[in-house]
Amino acid sequence: MSQPTPEAYERGRGMDAHNAVMRDIRAEKEETYDPHEPTRVWLDEDNTPDGVRTSLTIILNTGGCRWARAGGCTMCGYVAESVEGGSVSHEALMDQIEVCLDHEAEEADDPASLIKIYTSGSFLDEREVSAETRRAIAEAFSDRERVVVESLPDFVDADKIADFTRWGLDADVAVGLETATDRVRHDCVNKYFDFADFEDACAEARRADEAADAASAGVKAYLLMKPPFLTESEAVEDMVSSVERCADVAGCHTVSMNPCNVQRYTMVDELHFRGGYRPPWLWSVATVLERTADADAIVVSDPVGHGSDRGPHNCGDCDDRVQTAIKDFDLRQDPSVFDQVSCECERTWELTLDEEAAYAAPLTR
Amino acid sequence: MTDYFEVHDRDGAARVGELRLSTPVATPALVGGTSGADPSGGDAGGGDASGDSGRPLERVPVRDAGSLWSADREVPEGDDSTLTVLPHRAFPSGTREEVVDSFATAFPDVDGPSAAVVSSDAPDAAGAADAPVDAYALSDAQGFVGHASAFVDAVVGVREAVPADTALYLAGVATPANVSTLVYAGVDLVDDKRVRVKGSQGKYLATDGEYFLEDLDELPCACPACAVPRAEFDRAACEEHNVNALTAELRRVRRRVRDGRLRDYIEGQARHDQWLTATFRELDQQYGYLEQRTPVVRGADLSAASSDTIRRVEIQRFAERVTTRYRNRFRNPLVLVPCSARKPYSESQSHAQFHDAIQYRGHLASMTSPIGVVPQELELTYPAQHYDTVVTGRWSEDEKRFVADVLERYLERNDYPRVIAHVPDEGYRDICERVASRVEVPFEYTVSEHPTTTESIGNLMATLDGELKYTKRERQHNTVRAIADYMLGDGAGDDLFGDIATTSRYPKLQVRDPDGTDADGSGGEQLATMVPTYGVLAFTLAGARRWVESDAPTKRVEIDGFVPQGSVLAPGVVDADAGVRVGDEVVVEGPRAFAVGRAEMSGPEMADSTRGIAVAVRHVEET
Repeated sequence: MSQPTPEAYERGRGMDAHNAVMRDIRAEKEETYDPHEPTRVWLDEDNTPDGVRTSLTIILNTGGCRWARAGGCTMCGYVAESVEGGSVSHEALMDQIEVCLDHEAEEADDPASLIKIYTSGSFLDEREVSAETRRAIAEAFSDRERVVVESLPDFVDADKIADFTRWGLDADVAVGLETATDRVRHDCVNKYFDFADFEDACAEARRADEAADAASAGVKAYLLMKPPFLTESEAVEDMVSSVERCADVAGCHTVSMNPCNVQRYTMVDELHFRGGYRPPWLWSVATVLERTADADAIVVSDPVGHGSDRGPHNCGDCDDRVQTAIKDFDLRQDPSVFDQVSCECERTWELTLDEEAAYAAPLTR
Repeated sequence: MTDYFEVHDRDGAARVGELRLSTPVATPALVGGTSGADPSGGDAGGGDASGDSGRPLERVPVRDAGSLWSADREVPEGDDSTLTVLPHRAFPSGTREEVVDSFATAFPDVDGPSAAVVSSDAPDAAGAADAPVDAYALSDAQGFVGHASAFVDAVVGVREAVPADTALYLAGVATPANVSTLVYAGVDLVDDKRVRVKGSQGKYLATDGEYFLEDLDELPCACPACAVPRAEFDRAACEEHNVNALTAELRRVRRRVRDGRLRDYIEGQARHDQWLTATFRELDQQYGYLEQRTPVVRGADLSAASSDTIRRVEIQRFAERVTTRYRNRFRNPLVLVPCSARKPYSESQSHAQFHDAIQYRGHLASMTSPIGVVPQELELTYPAQHYDTVVTGRWSEDEKRFVADVLERYLERNDYPRVIAHVPDEGYRDICERVASRVEVPFEYTVSEHPTTTESIGNLMATLDGELKYTKRERQHNTVRAIADYMLGDGAGDDLFGDIATTSRYPKLQVRDPDGTDADGSGGEQLATMVPTYGVLAFTLAGARRWVESDAPTKRVEIDGFVPQGSVLAPGVVDADAGVRVGDEVVVEGPRAFAVGRAEMSGPEMADSTRGIAVAVRHVEET
């Protein structure tokens, strides 16, 4: 006997409610940003299909995510980092790129071989970044090895990817899939596409890859560990199956599995404030990486705000050590790094996995 | 609507009940987990109330059908050996109402004991309050446990929304220190999730709070887990101890509820944690919620050992009834005397001396903290002879204000030619002087040093010189009328017993019709008997008929077309007066029967429940 719920109808109502709440929460934020400055830019190291590379990460301010203006994802506060009016001109975007290049020239000895461009939206959505701007940005980085651009799966198109590969640039599309489980993506994250759309996007990337002569194209899946409403153990199982399902999709060569953190002006923030949400344990991140080490993809994780109440955390004593092991795993993909760390709080985490029913959550702080 | 949960004992909002699994479990109980004390498995042969091992299970076996947030779920087949948590969308603390409303899920009927997961903000979302379940698990307890007013709002809100005969489950929050307060507020089911987590973190739990294991050079407990050398006591042992401490505390709480003495315990134990103290004080502000659930009489004594006792329902209710229902019928002066440690007061040495001096020339009322004013006719009436207070002679300002307020309201309602305050200095005199300045009747003071000195007793005798004595008959009639006032309402004593005869001896007075002769020739037909242990009246059928016909408000229980034998069960109740309380005298009426008895549930609970004894019937006749 199965639950007689009219799923489509229920989903629509749930989405409306999530959106209404998120709009209301986001309205509390009043700051606006200069469209000539990128939201953020930093240098780092990243594991790519070609090995570990220096990376320049750019959060481009493109006026923010369209979905977020309707309400948007329950955990995402980046959307608040948008500009007044909601759209940014070609000239302003090119100014932002200029600021990033200046930053790189100042901070790094050599140009980074990997460029990652996020927009808190979709770089490939031409309402956000026009074809003209996309091509100009591709040209600006044409001397690099690889470019990663963020996009929702609907906008992934082989021809758009070709704007990068034609310069001999390897191109990856970063897709915020969040989870391979449609139900969780819809009801907990409030993201509206399906896993099938992700598979279609990967197929587009494959076409771009095949069409390119001197470059490759692929998809990097971004997963979210522990959206609101899931228990710790549900979150772990959701991630293990999501990593495995993503790795099985041709064209998806990297999975970045990231623990949820508590961002201001989000539903997650409200739940956290009222004692209804705890970010995942770093042990959960480690166990997912360990359990999916055999998956046919690079699997990495970049916990933000580790060790703090609003970020993924353990007991306070071992957070830095576990974080180090995770970062080590990212670069080496060797699960034995996790044998090197242990702490008394693993027992508490195990109890949490065993005992935390959804109606007893969060069981620990 | 419940088939598997029944409440057996009530003590305020706290209940001892029974989850009728194939092997029944007494509640408040732990849900899930295992303990060495339990017989293994739930395969008891049928519904034997004592279980396989000759004793009931201490834990409720549970089966979670799973969260609908992560997957679609099958509705499980019924299983009467375990509590099935129906497929749920749990809304954690902080979830906004529109999200709760839009995702609220239906509650399928399963054939067996089941629980629905609901949010305290919306306990009736998707019709949850009428769901065919035996228990409700709250999804947001983590957010409100630890915050007194939020906790009280949540528990009172849910308890008032869902049927009385369903169990309330708070998951992942119970500790040895808070579980008595959780139960006191109306929670029936908890679990050991929190204490095990705490143990794994090296937190050693006790009813007086939480210790860091590393700080304990000696373990303040003698449970089996603690019976190892300190050096061998690790976090695993600490988990075990914490579970033992919680289990033991639940046993104590069940005992206390059965004894009607949970509040006494709470007033002391809750002081170990500020939020717990705040919680029972906040609950005292929810007077309607507690009053409806507090019995009007109890076998157990009431301990008046803290400043919070004054705000207990029993104390407030007595003061309220004495100042709004009771009426003095004597024309003599009022003699105010201090209470005595011995109860009833009239059996104490001091009161025997007062009595000898007064010689039925004055109406005696005792002043006492925390009861207030006890007129002589009500000295047996609960809780006037059922409290034990701490006597130091030092009165707090709260006590003085409370007693002065009661005395003032008492004197506003009752006319006396004069008030003789035969009271000592400490507190009593101060109270009398405050009240004297606010009322018209003159006060005289007769105590020199102490109320029982020869001089004081002489003063008391002398000041009553010339006052007329009242008769024994007047005294007896006024006593049963006063009790009727107190039990049934303002004016009831005159409405029911304006014209009566009394037989037998105080305190077992029998109230009779003044005319005619009954079967054993002892006078007119018997209407009621005074019950000396509680100071209340037990009606006969004739008395009940007189009550129904009088202007006094009748406490009525309407039943289906059957003739109750021994007791009326809740499913047989069609309706009941909302004012009926546990212990109240009630009239039971139906198409086929007229009966009188004692309420075992409040009126709203009778009307609401599908299980349990509603009325213990004393007399019944077919109609």
